[in-house]
Formats: sequence, structure tokens, C-alpha cells
Amino acid sequence: MHNRDWAQMAEEGGPPVIVQGKGIRVKDSEGKEWIDVNGGYTSVNVGYGREEIADAAYEQAVKTTFAPVGTTTEPAVRLAAKLAELAPGSLNRSFLVSGGSEANETAIKIARAYHKRRGEAGRFKVISRRGSYHGMTGGVVFAGGGPANPRSDFEPVYPGMLYAPQPNPYRCEMGGTTPSECAVRCAQAVEDLIKFHGPNTVAAFIAEPIAIPQGAPVPGDEYWPMIRDICDRYGVLLIMDEVVCGFGRTGKMFGSNHWDIVPDMMTVAKGIISSYLPVAATIVKDQIADSFAAKGSVFSHVFTNAGHPVTAAAALKNIEIIESENLVQNAAATGAYLKEQLVALKPDHALVGDVRGIGLFVAMEFVSDHKAKTGFKPEDRMAARLTEKLRNHGLLLNSRGDILHLGPPLCITRDDVDQIVYAIDLSLWELEGELGIARKP
Amino acid sequence: MTDTQAIRDLANKHLWMPIRSWTDMGERGEPIVIDRADGIRVVDTDGHEWIDVNGGYSSVSAGYGHIEIAEAMRDQMKQLSYWPEGTTTPPLAQLVRKLAELAPGDLERVWPVSGGSEANETALKIARGYHRRHGDVGRYKVISLKGTYHGGTGVTMWLGRPAGITLEDYEPEYPGLVYAPLPNSYRCERGGENASDCAVRCIKALEDIILFQGPDTIVAIIAETVCSSLGAAVPGDEYWPMLRQICDKYGILLIDDEVVCGFGRTGKMFGVEHWDVVPDIMTVAKGLSSSYLPVGATITSGDVADAFVGEGNAFKQALTYGGHPVSAVVALKNIEIIETRGMVENSAKMGEYFLGQLQELKEKHSIVGDVRGLGLLMGIELVADRETKERFPDSLRIGERLVEKFRSHGLLLRTMGTIIQLGPPLLITQNDVDEIVRGLDAAIGEIETEL
Repeated sequence: MHNRDWAQMAEEGGPPVIVQGKGIRVKDSEGKEWIDVNGGYTSVNVGYGREEIADAAYEQAVKTTFAPVGTTTEPAVRLAAKLAELAPGSLNRSFLVSGGSEANETAIKIARAYHKRRGEAGRFKVISRRGSYHGMTGGVVFAGGGPANPRSDFEPVYPGMLYAPQPNPYRCEMGGTTPSECAVRCAQAVEDLIKFHGPNTVAAFIAEPIAIPQGAPVPGDEYWPMIRDICDRYGVLLIMDEVVCGFGRTGKMFGSNHWDIVPDMMTVAKGIISSYLPVAATIVKDQIADSFAAKGSVFSHVFTNAGHPVTAAAALKNIEIIESENLVQNAAATGAYLKEQLVALKPDHALVGDVRGIGLFVAMEFVSDHKAKTGFKPEDRMAARLTEKLRNHGLLLNSRGDILHLGPPLCITRDDVDQIVYAIDLSLWELEGELGIARKP
Repeated sequence: MTDTQAIRDLANKHLWMPIRSWTDMGERGEPIVIDRADGIRVVDTDGHEWIDVNGGYSSVSAGYGHIEIAEAMRDQMKQLSYWPEGTTTPPLAQLVRKLAELAPGDLERVWPVSGGSEANETALKIARGYHRRHGDVGRYKVISLKGTYHGGTGVTMWLGRPAGITLEDYEPEYPGLVYAPLPNSYRCERGGENASDCAVRCIKALEDIILFQGPDTIVAIIAETVCSSLGAAVPGDEYWPMLRQICDKYGILLIDDEVVCGFGRTGKMFGVEHWDVVPDIMTVAKGLSSSYLPVGATITSGDVADAFVGEGNAFKQALTYGGHPVSAVVALKNIEIIETRGMVENSAKMGEYFLGQLQELKEKHSIVGDVRGLGLLMGIELVADRETKERFPDSLRIGERLVEKFRSHGLLLRTMGTIIQLGPPLLITQNDVDEIVRGLDAAIGEIETEL
């Protein structure tokens, strides 16, 4: 299992075995009901138990489950057309794959191959940001990184990986004291990095609109327009990893929409199908895709399951639900309410250093010292203790290190939010009591 | 009635299909849009029926149209379509138990993923993590066999440096990749005269490479039991047992890529069973779900997995779709169909018959240089000169012309340059084989005449 030690799980009585899901709630094999606060991996956007997605997948599976080499199917085509309609600007052509890692690997390969086709074979370096996450396969595992995703097991690092600072206003690496100042300094650092390494050696800049591992640090509004401008100025392709932010998570269809940015490529997964089946896509601007159009310059890249018809049919139905039920708008409205409620907890709790996020992409960060913003030591087992308490109050919600990530299904209601926030409040009181740091109510 | 031309136009405007040019497809009135499928046959939106001789990418092992797989998928999607972080689900538990039961020897611990590339990336990462946990931090190199295909992601795309993929587009190469000769009996890089001789010489070459690089710098050797991309290059019987010995001798992990060969493709459940060898890590995909959904898995021995037990030792990897309950249900149902309908046995039997028919084609057509295969993984290699095994020049576009001719005979078939790859669904009958061979015969005859 993901990031788990099975010997330790066995000692703890094994992991909960989940047998059923509906909306934001799941039931385990002993009949106990839980709220899945993070909706899988921030991925079950429309919620569990949507029978119409199952029916759409079934109907396609009865017709055909695959297409012979070199052919395609109607759902794959319609999904690609739908993505072109939704994605901003001229992001019009999609390479369909089976997960976010594959989507990001595909984007990086397109970037390198694109520059070669334009006679700029020297551009191979990829800039990512410390504290970002882009996947687990051979190339992308070395994009982003940080203590939340240790990869010493996987060395040596891929050649040509460069790292820029994360515009995290709560902990600005560049010493910015406001979100704006942090944004400007971090964007400037990207330009400095490009100049230091030589612009004609850099293929692409890859980033999430809002980074994942550090718990939704929303950058200052200056950041993305500046980055777009810097990339244009130096001929560096901008790859926007919308695997988490895409499909309404942040209260807009894509995270990029908050800053009216059109990246050169956009990668999507998770919310494109609310994790009902494995599907993802790399969406590419026409101007870039066109350099692969001719017979002699095709993109030399294959995945067996690229454009799988059953996953495409399910994704189309999922997007239809997101649109027809106005889940993007609900993410904005209920997300704002969730954040407001969590911010309201802050004065009561010694543990809570920061509450941040946008839409239904929200996080809490815990500190042992508010001034110094010091975290907790691994031997304090803070995360495990909090996770256990949250479970006792009916929430499946894993604290990862000092950060509690909340990315619930977008169909969540205000009542659901109240129930979640109440359980978090109780859990924090209990933990603070044990630590002897509880504030007087 | 579907308006096919409208779909084609949309496809050529918005869909990026693997290894296809959309301007070229537009000019030819392509792509073919598949509407429905059953067994080994597919029907496009214009009502044309084709035999999918390759069964997708040699992946639709159980054949098309098994409604019970579609039903199992739908039921699980309604019941539970995903799972919360840190929990698990009954279908996944059943699938990993089934894989442990099927896989040879002590291969018992399963890391589930969504495809062959992810499975091989995971295997390499586990291999690196394993050596580090044993204090062997100097080991980082990976040996693969020239011409083999292992995936399209960051590291796997380089492995084997397969022909037909323009890797120079993606330079720089990942560090520490070392390439050894492939035991391809028809074109033995080491001058072997027959399959055995080639196998032994390639092993000798491999050992020389290990000694030259330094054994304690090498993490793993990854290989397919039968190399699929070069048209089913079956190694001499000495190769795999000797490969296992070499790996043991130098403390190198043996990763067996069964993405194509697994689940009956070669007439045994796994290719490696032909030689009674147990690898340290095995990767599977394709036949695991017959491509009904994207599923893959990395299966490791108990010894390898044990390195990841204990405080701070967990394998630090998460893939959102890895261990998906719907994928698991589909894989289980697919394996059940393969087992209960005797498809592994049918693969052995029909493969033998098929290869016999291909041998007759070889006698008939002078441009057929070699026919080879194991079970229903087969290949035909065309040559300009049988004696010298000289290849046709690329400028003749033999592969592309053949694909068109096959189509006119009702066959959708894949070529890799002048190698014709054959990997039909395992439920194929003798009559189907005869029909395919008639089409191959006619198309090859036509090319021969044109040449």
C-alpha cells in the first residue's frame, strides 16, 4: 500500500477495509460510516456512488473496450474535443493517458521534442519548484520535491532538473513578508535561474497553479502573470500541472483561470474522472502540437492504454455532472465557507499556525511555536496521533506531517462542512490536552 | 447512424493519437473509428469488419466482448468507485492474493499500478531501494537488452533503446543505463550459429559487461522472456537459467518484464515458466486485464519486499490510481475467464498450429526471412535477401505498404519496419488462424509482386 509499512499496519489491526461509498461518505466492512474528507487523493470530485458514470462506462464496455493499433473510438475523440472546449486559449489537442505521472512525463517529452523540431536541441533542462509534486515515474519523480516526498531511494537524479523557490506566503523562501512580495521575489528567482543556466538550455517550467505537498499555498496574484511573461521572454514552455486543481477543485474550472493564464501545456487527471477509472490527459496548444503534425515528425510516444474508450466515456459523464450540477460554483462557495470556519478555529487552538487555500483545496498547518513557525519532530508522532483522533470522530483524514489537507468532493454541503469542522475542533482539543498546550476556552 | 466523417474531423483536430500524423490521417480519410467488437473481430462506424490480429497492443488476451467483465466493472463502480487514503478494499485484497498464487516461486508481494510503464518504473525504484537498505549504495546502474521495449515514461523509455522510437527527441538519457546484447537467434549480435549458441554467447557478453562496469554498481537486469518488439525473439533454452545464475552470482536483481508475455500469451501463464526460472521482481499489465481497463502490477519476492518493513523503511511511492478497486474487479474477472476457458492451453496449441502455417508461408515467399514465436506471440521478418538477411531499405516503406494491404484483406495488423508482429486474442480458433494466414499470404504475395 501507498507509503505504508505492512508489518506496522498488521500490529495496528490492519487498514480499514472500505466496501461502499456515497457522496462524501464511505462505509467499512464492519458497517462503520466515515466522511472521506480528502475525497480519495483530493480526487473524487463528484463524490462517490454516481450510478450514471458506471452506466456510461458499462454501455461503452458492451460496445468495445479497446481499439486496434492506429485506430480510435468515438468517446476518445469526444473527450479530446471536450477538453479543448474547456481548456483556455488554444489548448486544443489532447494526448490521453492513464494517470497524472504519465501526463506529466508526456508533457516533458513533448517539450524536449518540440524544441528539437525547432532546431533548439540544446534546450533540455526542466525547471520545477521545491515543494511541488508532479508524479512518481522516472522523470517526474525528480520534478519538485521536498521533505514530504523523500526520493533518496531513487537516485541518481534525472539530468537537467533545476529547482526554483515555492511562492508559499506562510514560509517564503525568498524572505517575502506578504503574498505579493513573496510572489514577485519567487518569480524573479525563476528568471535569475534561467539566465544563470542559459535560456537556450531550458526546455520547460512545470508547476501546479497551487502546490500540493505544502498544503495549498496560494501564491500572490503577481506570480502567474510574471511567470507567463518570463517564459515567453526566454522561449521556455510553461507546463501547468492541473492534476489536482483541474475540474473545479479551486472554485474555477482550472486553477490557471484565477489568473487568466494560458499555459503552453496543461496536464489533468483525478478530477477529469473523479477517480472512477484511471484516465488523464496532456492538453497542448495548437502552435506546439502542429510541429508534430506531419508524417515525418510524429511524436514517438506510446502507451497501450492511451485513449482507452471506456475511461473516456466515464470521464465525459463525470464532466457532464460537474457542469450540470454547478459543482465548480459550489466549490467556490462552500470552499469559502469551509475556510472561514477553519479560520474561526485558529484563535482557540495553539496548534494551528496557518489556514489557507482556495475553493475546496484547503489546508491547516500545525506549529509548536507561532513566532518561529517551528514544526513538530517526527518522534512526536503528531500526524499519526491526530489522524487517529480524527478517525475516532468519524473522519478519514490523514495529517501528512504537520499539514492537514482537505480536498473533499465538490458536492459537499454546508452541513457536511459543519460536521467536519466540529470533528477537527474536538480532535485538536484532545491532542492539545495531551500535549498540555490547550488554550482556555 | 454515426456521422463518421464528423468524428474523424474532430479526431484530427483535437486528439493526439500515438505514432500517428493527423495531417496524414486527414488526407487518407482516417482514423478508423471502432464502434463495436467481439472475440477477435472489430467493426468500425462505417460497418466494416476487421480481424484485430494483434488484439490491441498484443493486449486483448481474453478477446473482445466479454459482457461479464463489463458487468463486474459497472457493479463495482456503483458500489465503491474509489477509496480513502490509508484504507483498502476487498477487490484489491483478492487481486493481490490471486497474483501471489499465480506468480511462480516466492513472488508474493504486489504493488498495483495502471500500466506497464508504471510497473517497470516501480520495479526499478524498488530495486534501488532494496540495495540501499542493504547498504549497497553504490549500485545504481540498470542493464537492459538492446531492442527491447519497457515503457514510455522517464526511465523506462530508455531501457533497451527500442528500434522505431526516436529517442534522440528526449535526450539527455537517464544516467547509469547499460545495454547488453539481446539473444535474438535470427540475428545474433555475438555471431551465435543457432539459438543455443547465441544464448550462451549473449550470457558471456553480459557477464563481461557486468565485470567491466563493476558488479557492485549494478542494481538490476531487466528483460522480457521473449522480446516482443523485435517480433517474438525467443531465446535459446540456456539463456534464462544462466541469466538467473549470473544475477545470483553478482547480487543483481532480476526483473522479468511479463507485460506482453504474461497471462498465457506464450502458452504458459508466464513466459518465464518455459525455463522454470523465478525472477526477483515481475511486472505485468496488458493480459492482466486484457485491456478492458488500464491495470498493471509489480510483483516482488518476499525477500525483496522484506527490505521495506520497519520504521522508516516504507517504500515512498503513491500513484492515485494504483490499487483501484474497479481495475481490480476487472482484472479478477479477466483472469477467471482466461483460466476457466483454458485460454493458456489454447494459446500453446493454436500458437503451434499458427507457427506451422507461417512456416509454410516462408517456404512459399522468398521475402520471408524468418518466422518465429512461442504460443500466440509470433513474428514474421521480411528480408531483401534470405542468404545475407539483408533488410529492405526504409525508402521502400515496406511496413506501411503492408499495413494497407492487410487492411484490404480485412486484417488490422501492426508492423515494426519489416517485422510483422502477431499477438491475437487467446481464444482464437483454427479457422480464425486459417483466415488470417490467407490474408497474410495474399498481402505478402502482392508486395512480392510489386517488388
